[in-house]
Amino acid sequence: MTRHSKSPARPLRLVIAASVAFIFLAPFIYLLLGSLAKNFNLAGTLDLASYSFTLANYTSLFSQAGLYRPVVNSIIVALVVTVGNVIFCTLCGYVLARRRFRGKNLVMLSVVMVLMIPTHVVIIPMYLLTNWLGIFDSYLALILPFLVTPLGVFLMRQYISTLPADMEESARLEGASEWTIVWKIVMPLCKPAIAVLSVQVFLVNWNSFIYPFILTSSESMRTLPVALALLQGYQSINIPQLFAASMISALPTTILFVVFSRRITEGIISGALKG
Amino acid sequence: MRGVSVGRFRSSDLLMLSPWLVTLLLFWLFPIIASLVLSFTDYQLLSGHNSFIGVDNFIALFSDPTFVRAVLNTLVFTVGTLPFTIIFAIVLAIFVNRNLPFKTFFQSVYFFPSIVSLVVVALIYSTLYARGGYIQMLLSAVGLAYPPEGFLFSENTALPAIMAMDVWMSTGYYMLLFVAALQSIPQELYDAASLEGAGAWHRLKAITLPHLKPMLLFVLVLNTIKSFQIFVEVFVMTKGGPLNSTMTIVYFVYEEGLHKFNIGYGAAAANILFLLIALIAWVEMKLVQERQI
Repeated sequence: MTRHSKSPARPLRLVIAASVAFIFLAPFIYLLLGSLAKNFNLAGTLDLASYSFTLANYTSLFSQAGLYRPVVNSIIVALVVTVGNVIFCTLCGYVLARRRFRGKNLVMLSVVMVLMIPTHVVIIPMYLLTNWLGIFDSYLALILPFLVTPLGVFLMRQYISTLPADMEESARLEGASEWTIVWKIVMPLCKPAIAVLSVQVFLVNWNSFIYPFILTSSESMRTLPVALALLQGYQSINIPQLFAASMISALPTTILFVVFSRRITEGIISGALKG
Repeated sequence: MRGVSVGRFRSSDLLMLSPWLVTLLLFWLFPIIASLVLSFTDYQLLSGHNSFIGVDNFIALFSDPTFVRAVLNTLVFTVGTLPFTIIFAIVLAIFVNRNLPFKTFFQSVYFFPSIVSLVVVALIYSTLYARGGYIQMLLSAVGLAYPPEGFLFSENTALPAIMAMDVWMSTGYYMLLFVAALQSIPQELYDAASLEGAGAWHRLKAITLPHLKPMLLFVLVLNTIKSFQIFVEVFVMTKGGPLNSTMTIVYFVYEEGLHKFNIGYGAAAANILFLLIALIAWVEMKLVQERQI
């Protein structure tokens, strides 16, 4: 009892917690209401007295501003990159956790070193590289460089190291190939780690801006965040439409967050403790 | 574990590792080496210049007022956001972790801004900061001064406005990391301290804060690396303006290298950024380690 005597009383702490929550949520409430508003003050404030709902801001986006293609692009890129990471990071993580051969430590070191490299530093050579490879301004440019991430390899290696190896050993004695072992034994046991990895990779790629921005040039290759950032300077777009477009970008994130909140936070917490 | 002999290498190992090895060589090592080589050339995509010029780019950068401004702004941004983000994050983490009702809910809400697209957050704040917008209304309600042209269009307030947004956005993420660190502190330590009559303040100083140190180091380095690379906020909100007051190093690299296509010059600026980040991360590690008794 003495432990809590000095902390503010329960109701007071709830009020504080709720006020802080309001600070973090208010801009998003503004975004939601703004995207559904029929009338908006020029200065960007909502006219709450005569507020009325409309979906027109959303529908006009797809008919006028051509947001359909960026949404599809973002979905394709984020999904393919996520699936790629799940497969490739599990394979690499398995080899690094279980197999022993010369040079393995060097590979592990490369993963950890690359984790620390600030990615924005190489935007110029990445631009040139995609040009030289002939994949600039294509889906390949948006997908290939991100199919295996060092964080994913690290996460999967750490997780697989904690699993007991006896099932793999007995499968190996029965003549199963390494591929069968990964596919049939390791993958199913890795479900929690794969869930964390998928949500993380999907979110990062869904929100990613700088690389999709510098590795594409045509309007048809833009992802949603790129389209959003470039829509802003557009003369014919107004704030409610911009807000509706932002909502479309924030909605999948929010849904993922509400459904996987625990997974996301636990992923960050467990990842941080190991790091 | 010992049963598997070292050196018994299977072709499947290499095949399974190959996605990472290819990515490592092609998309990590090659760009870093290319960046290094390019920074010693006057490569320009448009004019076709491409010859070795030694350290000329680096010398030119340090007498380029825009670049110097970019370095200063990046430093101001990092130094000006880091303490606030970290202190707010620690305070929130301790607050949330002390059996607050609906703890998971509040924790998630505080964390939410850091998983929404930065472009979206920057767009919302552009509107909030606009002339006559909500932030101006709020400030005038409490009698504080504000720039009449709007926060993002005044040389004095544009950078602080972006910094404030950044603190708001990333506090929740680091809070979560500190919550993780707090949860790893054994409860017995607190119980023992309470038995010995230690007050709340003493427990915080003697148990909580020392245990947060490793995480503090991690957050410090992570946040520094992230802050030094600020780009999206600037691109969406100010495009480096007004009068270069929000020009940052990555924005400079983008503008020189990928807008004006002065590849060599931009690459040199990027390499300076790389060095700067490595140097500061190293100093931070030294500082925190030395203070550990």
